[in-house]
Amino acid sequence: MDIALVRVDNRLVHGQILEAWIPFIKADCIVVVDDLTASDMFRETVIRMAVPREVTVIISDVEEFAKTTPFQAGNGHRTIVLFGAIASARRAFELGFRFGKLNIGNIYNDSCVICCTPSVLLSESDIQDAMFLRDSGVRIELRRVPREKPLDFFEIVRSVTI
Amino acid sequence: MIGVLIATHGNLGSELIKAAEMIHGSMKLVAHVAVDQDKGVEDIKKEISAGIKKLDQGKGVLILTDLFGGTPSNLSLSFLKAGKVEVVTGVNLPMLLKLNEVQEGKSLEEFAHSLKEYGIKNISLASEILGKKFSG
Repeated sequence: MDIALVRVDNRLVHGQILEAWIPFIKADCIVVVDDLTASDMFRETVIRMAVPREVTVIISDVEEFAKTTPFQAGNGHRTIVLFGAIASARRAFELGFRFGKLNIGNIYNDSCVICCTPSVLLSESDIQDAMFLRDSGVRIELRRVPREKPLDFFEIVRSVTI
Repeated sequence: MIGVLIATHGNLGSELIKAAEMIHGSMKLVAHVAVDQDKGVEDIKKEISAGIKKLDQGKGVLILTDLFGGTPSNLSLSFLKAGKVEVVTGVNLPMLLKLNEVQEGKSLEEFAHSLKEYGIKNISLASEILGKKFSG
């Protein structure tokens, strides 16, 4: 599996993924890694119906994904890995799923302590999880759609907190 | 009467209603929910839920959304309930203009089905219709 994009988006599969990222990347596989969705037949069905037929959909909980996905060896698939929360991305990382770059799309947290952009509102624990990933060598960018200029996550956090 | 809630990306829903009212006069039992990038999923769900409550007069509510797989549609689908809430995606202006006519004497399910067919029927390639007559 050739991982083309690792993204956190609490809307999971939605317009920006279907109409912007999948065509831009020419992705032919999308892995939704989210514990809630993996245990909810209805949500899973809706996602499967929304994604174009030629794109393979895998829906998995975090643990299952990190344990079983053959993410190292390429079999020609261009894959988007989509997490519902930064905490899930961190958990997968700790369980062995390694990535060098993380894209953040939409995160909306009611207990927001840092408002990075109108679509990225982070809680204290989001920030801790992001810091953990940064310290592990992951670059984090904020970018909703491919045509948008990516913003460096930590520059924004720094400019907001100072 | 069946209530109609239009849930869309940005202000598309409210603008569609404005456009329909421009042509048709004011519309009853129609409301909209705008999904903006700075609204959280839970807040949007609350708005949809409040909209359904407001519009339901006992005959149910039809939710019209813009894009299957988009957030407005994804969140609306969680309210699906036979006889109470139906969802049709791909809303267009012709559909809004025919809400009253199409629903007459129909159950929610029949209304949703007919409105979907009507919306599809009203997408035309002009040259296919006019071509033979006018393009020589």
